[in-house]
Amino acid sequence: MALVLSRVNAHFTDEGVREQPALSDITFSIASGSFVSVIGPSGAGKSTLMRVILGLMPIASGEVVRNFSRPAMVFQNYALFPWLSALDNVAFGLRMSGMERTRRERIAREKLKEVGLSHLEDHYPAALSGGQRQRVGLARALAISPDFLIMDEPFSNLDTITSEALKTDLLKIWRAYGMTILMVNHLIPDAIELSDQIILMGAHPGHIEKTVEINLPRPRDTRSESFFKHVDQLTENIRTIS
Amino acid sequence: MIRSVAHLQSLAWQRAHLARHKRSWIIMGVVVVIALFVGAFGYFGPVAWFALTNAVLHTTYRLAVAYGIALVLGVAIALVVGWSPFADALFPVFDILQNVPSFALIPFFIYFLGYTDMMIILFAVSSVIWPILFAVLTAIKNAHSDLNDAATIFGARGLRRIPYYLAPLSFPAILTGSIVGIAIGWESVIGAEIITSITGFGAFIKDASATGITHVAIAGMLVILVIVFVINRLIWAPLLAESGKRYSE
Repeated sequence: MALVLSRVNAHFTDEGVREQPALSDITFSIASGSFVSVIGPSGAGKSTLMRVILGLMPIASGEVVRNFSRPAMVFQNYALFPWLSALDNVAFGLRMSGMERTRRERIAREKLKEVGLSHLEDHYPAALSGGQRQRVGLARALAISPDFLIMDEPFSNLDTITSEALKTDLLKIWRAYGMTILMVNHLIPDAIELSDQIILMGAHPGHIEKTVEINLPRPRDTRSESFFKHVDQLTENIRTIS
Repeated sequence: MIRSVAHLQSLAWQRAHLARHKRSWIIMGVVVVIALFVGAFGYFGPVAWFALTNAVLHTTYRLAVAYGIALVLGVAIALVVGWSPFADALFPVFDILQNVPSFALIPFFIYFLGYTDMMIILFAVSSVIWPILFAVLTAIKNAHSDLNDAATIFGARGLRRIPYYLAPLSFPAILTGSIVGIAIGWESVIGAEIITSITGFGAFIKDASATGITHVAIAGMLVILVIVFVINRLIWAPLLAESGKRYSE
């Protein structure tokens, strides 16, 4: 198991005064090398869950077991450093780990090439389109050769064509690297196409409604009957939550 | 350096910037022409230009030193406080300190430092530092939480967070804080010179107006206007353009 959460509770504090429950009694585990999606309505604490998993937010009770050493994250709004060029953004993690310049730049160039952006390495984020920025964000995460990759709605700010292309690349990368991927998603067909397991969350406070295993063979045929059956079932599940 | 600007948006921005640039040159040109025109009719006859320029340069020197100290001190304090977990607690303290009317502190500065250059410089520091400090603190406080998380996840932790994340993040704030701070700095330095009558432009126009020669004050303002304009065009405008292009989102 790459990650085990058992009975995790967490809350927000507004200005240190009031406490609001954010996550309640979260229990699940993720197998090493698997692709897991989290789906749920807004307010279900999906992003909070990601922050808890990365240790960016304290938990009130429960236990988190992390069997990974190099986590990385891809953000919904890219979160690139605007003062760094695409290449320097990708090399950021390596620079922080003390790698010397020529080596880290070589690796960063490789990663940019992998996501198809080697011609834009000198561009600053402000001069890149949304899809290009997200590719830089992905390359930045890949550069530290992560064993656990968290993606928080990475496609939601992108148009369909861009996100389809990125999805294909992502699957390729996942196969090549063999890392564990945990992705927050809001599109049911996307989640079914990509994941081995789907965690369904409900809101107020965030809790787990259901965990669904997807055992369809890969590469997945998104026009097949069994695929649509899964979509129908998950849609029905979500309808009962909201 | 921005090596390639691909977006139409940035091109539009650049055009708007060039237009602003042009406008400020035109305005300054008109002022200079008018000054030369009235000068040709002997308006500035009684002005001792050499003494005046000397006084203005002295004032500028004091401001420059004061700004340098305030920049280093203000940015350093803001970065350390913004990095520490006490930023929220210290914000109101700085707010109160900032609201102390700076000229009320002049006797205090004179008491400790006497009528010296250093007194005026440190007095100016006490007012220039606040806009810089607050701009940087606010920028750190308002940084997008995702960007904070990205910095943490990719290793900008501990003290390394300051040079690799907080400092570059604060660059636009340091710029705007500096521009506001220097504007206040002119006031403080010249005000202190007027109050204490120690050399410099403030003391110069105080003498001049005592003898009733307003021409001198106007000539002095022109000289200061030119200095401010040159500093603005040569230093701040390019830096602002750079930061506007890069940090626009």
